[in-house]
Amino acid sequence: MILQKQAPHLSIATLFALGALVPLVLRQYHVNMLTEIIIFALYAVSYNLLLGYAGLLSFGHAMFFGTGAFAAAVALLHIPGLSLWGAIGFAVAMTTVTGFAVGGLLLRHKGSYFALLTLAFNSLFYAVATKWQTVTGGDDGLSVTRPALNLGFATVKMAAISNFYYFTLVIVGAAMVFCWYFTRTAMGQTVLLMRENEERMKFLGYSTNISRLILFTFTGAVAGLSGAFYTLHFQFVSLSAVSVDMTTTVLLMTFVGGTRTFWGPILGSFVYIIIQNYLSDITDRWPLFMGLIFIFLVLLVPGGLSQIIGSIRDWLTRKRTPDEPAAEKAS
Amino acid sequence: MSEFIVFFLHGLAYAGLLFLVSAGLTLVFGMMNVLNFAHAAMYMLGAYFSYTLVAVTGRFWPSLILCPVLLFVAGALVERFLLRRVHVHGHLHELLLTFGLSYIITELVKSVWGNYPLAMNVGGFLGTSIQFLGILYPVYRIFIFLCAVLVGLAMALILYRTRLGIILRASVNDGEMVNALGINVPLVLMGVFGFGAALSGFAGVIAGPLLTTYPGMAHEILIDAFVVIVVGGFGSLGGAVAASLLIGELQSFGVLLFPKLSLALVYLLMAAVLIVKPSGLFGEKQ
Repeated sequence: MILQKQAPHLSIATLFALGALVPLVLRQYHVNMLTEIIIFALYAVSYNLLLGYAGLLSFGHAMFFGTGAFAAAVALLHIPGLSLWGAIGFAVAMTTVTGFAVGGLLLRHKGSYFALLTLAFNSLFYAVATKWQTVTGGDDGLSVTRPALNLGFATVKMAAISNFYYFTLVIVGAAMVFCWYFTRTAMGQTVLLMRENEERMKFLGYSTNISRLILFTFTGAVAGLSGAFYTLHFQFVSLSAVSVDMTTTVLLMTFVGGTRTFWGPILGSFVYIIIQNYLSDITDRWPLFMGLIFIFLVLLVPGGLSQIIGSIRDWLTRKRTPDEPAAEKAS
Repeated sequence: MSEFIVFFLHGLAYAGLLFLVSAGLTLVFGMMNVLNFAHAAMYMLGAYFSYTLVAVTGRFWPSLILCPVLLFVAGALVERFLLRRVHVHGHLHELLLTFGLSYIITELVKSVWGNYPLAMNVGGFLGTSIQFLGILYPVYRIFIFLCAVLVGLAMALILYRTRLGIILRASVNDGEMVNALGINVPLVLMGVFGFGAALSGFAGVIAGPLLTTYPGMAHEILIDAFVVIVVGGFGSLGGAVAASLLIGELQSFGVLLFPKLSLALVYLLMAAVLIVKPSGLFGEKQ
């Protein structure tokens, strides 16, 4: 039992340690890719809090990712001497407000209607970003440079990718841990139970609408944080950050990894970006390949890769301990 | 004044196209409770099929009949072999499936026809312009509006004046009971989905010569069709008519009166409806 409780902490610590050691053996190209994976993993985790935990299918998550990305870039360009923290904080603040406003308007609707409206609002954000050239740079996008990181006692230059990689690992990793922690809180459990039986939660006295709005705002802010890191990573942001394609990307990542576990989307972003990087060298039509995997999973393995891994693990453990299969299930 | 008439007619033509797309979408949603994200992708397929057919035969008319038939078959197959399978997993999965389909269709279109716009000429009488009310106006845009009126009337007649329409409307209320009365409801639903696909294909064929045929056309019309459904009310045919007209004219006059805001006008209308009457102008209360 004690082991059970400590297991997540242990695996989190192992992942961080692995993440810290990996750049020592990887080439710069791969460190770049790993940074991208970590950033998109947070984006996918935030998306899965909506899709997997709350059962809300949104086709508009890129509004927050894009708002965060553009907010960070605009802040860096227009506020001279702004620190790294300032840019990130500004992006998160902006997306929190955006999430609250959009959520307040859209969460009155459920199911298909909600899905449709999120797509329409994503297009609205894209249209605004296209037209508002003085701020977003229109089709040209915005170029920024990463400011140095001020830790109080020392200043770390962020120009080198390895430095930025460690910064990303710590901050984005911490945000992911926080998301995981969130699912364990009373609030996170409320959201989960609401998905299962909303009527009952209402009878028990929970205000489901407010819980949903809080969750939506929270996921918006987290997506905004990943968007800000996206801008800092590429030192450039274009309209594609706020486009529906960016929502499609996160949907594919999340679903391919699996929506039923917390770590599924992280795995999904790994797989997606690796496929994107290697398949795009071979063929221009790699999105088609991703789409086929997606349809295959929707039809046959709705739990995604994590379901496949889970059933392999079950199968292996069952073989070794044939005497107590019931205990496995109960835990 | 003549400028006003021209823009009004432009609005009517676009409204006709919007109605053709959103009618199929709203019909499938009303009957099967499935929001078909692949609807616009099927519309795009219609346009591309028609482009190839016109290139081969040199005529526009055959594609107007053949493409909807092809898409009817495709839609019925999708319903029978894909959609029905995920139905047990619930609503979310149906949405995800249609979304995945639209993604794959878009990618396929890009690899078969290329990622650039294709222009098409209708030729013949449809390609000419006629003179009336002191203006010279292209026949083709009038043709679009007439098509939409005909399709709308036909749908209304079938739904409210025939035995098939009674079965359809009864299936919405209580599919199990209709099934028990000896009517093959799954077959009916397969037909409905196929009809929705055929309608979107028809709209695509018609849209080809008006707007150019390109891989982004699906997304563009999908958003407008969604706005039509939100404004008109989910599953309401009358709402689709009214909202199509409203948005068609808004788009058209938006370009004339507020060129800078024209993109946002439609969304503003949608946001206003959402705040004032969330169920849409003609929708029932949720």
